[in-house]
Amino acid sequence: MIDVAFWFVVILTLGSALIVVLNEKLVYSAIALLFTLFGVASLYVFLWADFLAGAQVVIYVGGILVLIIFGIMLTNRITSVNISHTSVQKGMGGVAVLGIIIVLGIMILNTPWYQTEFVEPAQTTATIGTLLMMEYLLPFEVASLLLLAALIGAAMLSRSGE
Amino acid sequence: MNNLQSLSLYWPELILTVTVLVTIIADLFYSAKESGKTALWVLGGLVLTYLAIRLQDSTIVTTLFMENLAFDPYASFFKTLIILATVFVIFISQRTSELDGYRTGEYYALLAIMVFGMFLMVSAIDLIMVYLAIEIVSISSFILAGYLRNDLRSNEASLKYVIYGAFSSGIMLFGLSIVFGLAGSTKFFAIQEAMWNLEGSADFAFTLATIFILAGFGYKISAVPFHFWTPDVYEGSPTSITAYLSVAPKAAGFALIIRFFNQVFGDGASFMDPSLTTYTELPWPQLLAVLAVITMTLGNLVAMQQNNIKRMLAYSSIAHAGYMLMALPTLSSQGVYAVMIYLVMYLFMNLGAFFVVIYVKSQGGGETFDDFSGLGWKIPIVGIVMTIFMISLTGIPPTAGFIGKFYIFAAVINSGPQLYWLAIVGGINSVISLYYYMRVVKVMFFEGKSSESVIVPPFAVLLILMALAIPTVIFGIYWVPIANWVSKSLVLFTQVI
Repeated sequence: MIDVAFWFVVILTLGSALIVVLNEKLVYSAIALLFTLFGVASLYVFLWADFLAGAQVVIYVGGILVLIIFGIMLTNRITSVNISHTSVQKGMGGVAVLGIIIVLGIMILNTPWYQTEFVEPAQTTATIGTLLMMEYLLPFEVASLLLLAALIGAAMLSRSGE
Repeated sequence: MNNLQSLSLYWPELILTVTVLVTIIADLFYSAKESGKTALWVLGGLVLTYLAIRLQDSTIVTTLFMENLAFDPYASFFKTLIILATVFVIFISQRTSELDGYRTGEYYALLAIMVFGMFLMVSAIDLIMVYLAIEIVSISSFILAGYLRNDLRSNEASLKYVIYGAFSSGIMLFGLSIVFGLAGSTKFFAIQEAMWNLEGSADFAFTLATIFILAGFGYKISAVPFHFWTPDVYEGSPTSITAYLSVAPKAAGFALIIRFFNQVFGDGASFMDPSLTTYTELPWPQLLAVLAVITMTLGNLVAMQQNNIKRMLAYSSIAHAGYMLMALPTLSSQGVYAVMIYLVMYLFMNLGAFFVVIYVKSQGGGETFDDFSGLGWKIPIVGIVMTIFMISLTGIPPTAGFIGKFYIFAAVINSGPQLYWLAIVGGINSVISLYYYMRVVKVMFFEGKSSESVIVPPFAVLLILMALAIPTVIFGIYWVPIANWVSKSLVLFTQVI
């Protein structure tokens, strides 16, 4: 049962991701991205990362994707047909992608990955909280400076003439 | 050290964070015209940060914030170097005409944030920290590159920078995730242990991961083939930012590369032993050697064809990254020593060359070779100083550039016959670079009509020019203080296996 659900999620994620890249209409791509992001969230569930899955839905689906759709709608007149993006050199690109997939596939199958004993986690948020306040306190705090830089930049770029 | 104890060794960064905030708040009280005064706040903050670094006990070598950062003289060396470059760039920014008409409060605030990011880059020993540090530096440089909003070239520079930046961080993150998948930890030390315990069974994965990670690091130091953004970004950005990008993030990038490869792929004893024993089953020294060769060759060959001096200097900075990369495959502390000396020398000569370009442009000239014709007769002092920088960038004695190159080549040759070819390629490249650097000198003194009136730059300009040109000459003759400083700083926090 779990297997069926897993493969369903995998196909959903990859299929919609392909639509994002290959479809020529930008709005369609944005909608397909919705399913990709949901798929990724479900993959987190399979990895017992329930908090991450929730955050993924709230931030990416609820926030970023909506912003993207707003962006598309507001920067283009709905009547204009030119809301499209095309890919060039599909043949060459396909060959390169195939090559990369084969190399990465060989790498993934032949590598002794780090594995721990599986224990069903009782809770995840408490662990994440402890990690953020202990081992990853500095990255957690430093991220605020990164966001500050991004905010200043956004404010500066969007300011109309002096 | 735990988080609370670490704070006592974290004063420089804390001061820097306060500087950022104070700068942003102070900018609120300035009118658009006075906005440039925020530079004073940043300068003051940087001076305090420098003092904090100097006051730290240099005998302490430890890790901070539960193995997120290393605290060692090596990091302090690069932090000092970054502060020096930033101070110069702030002074240079005061003299540029490109920023006229723009509010510059954010400009200086972003510079300070960038310094903070580079401080993290030079001391990070955790993959998440590495990524965050690179992103802080990248995001602030994207904005600074596009600071001239009314200039299409600046917009283009920013956009190209963002796209290449996103692409290369994506690849780097994939590489980091492979490393995490092998080690089960983001800490350098844990990765190092995992690497030795795997005993070669995951070499293919590690090699691929190294290539992917090099995409991110190579992007920061603009090594070929991750350099595509460099010429356009360098040409379109405000020239003061171009000068900054070509020096400070490059130094931070090298600090990060050296720390990463030394710690993760070494046994940790490397800087105590003159001969570095490393996990050489992986071809990473060869990878770096190939990278060095293509970087300097491409940089030099394309620089020859440029008509825009700013663009020429962009390619020349790619070539210099190649020279410095040459010293890394030697796997010796001598190689790292050479890179550190080179970075000090490179700071003065490269900032100097860019400052001359800025000054000539603000005098109503442009950035092409034609705009420089007859410059040596029109503004003799600038012509002479530019000649010094060009000689130094080529690496001809008695200038700082020669000393830098000398140490690099010495390190390469001392490491044994298997790298002689690298030294030969480097030598040929230096000769190629002579052509385009001397072309600037030729244009300045032997072309154009000699003018009757001689322009003498204002005192402030002269002061900056001298502050950059005098070290370029002095360190070519008497570089003992630099050599002493570097050898004292060659202490990294390492874990010995």
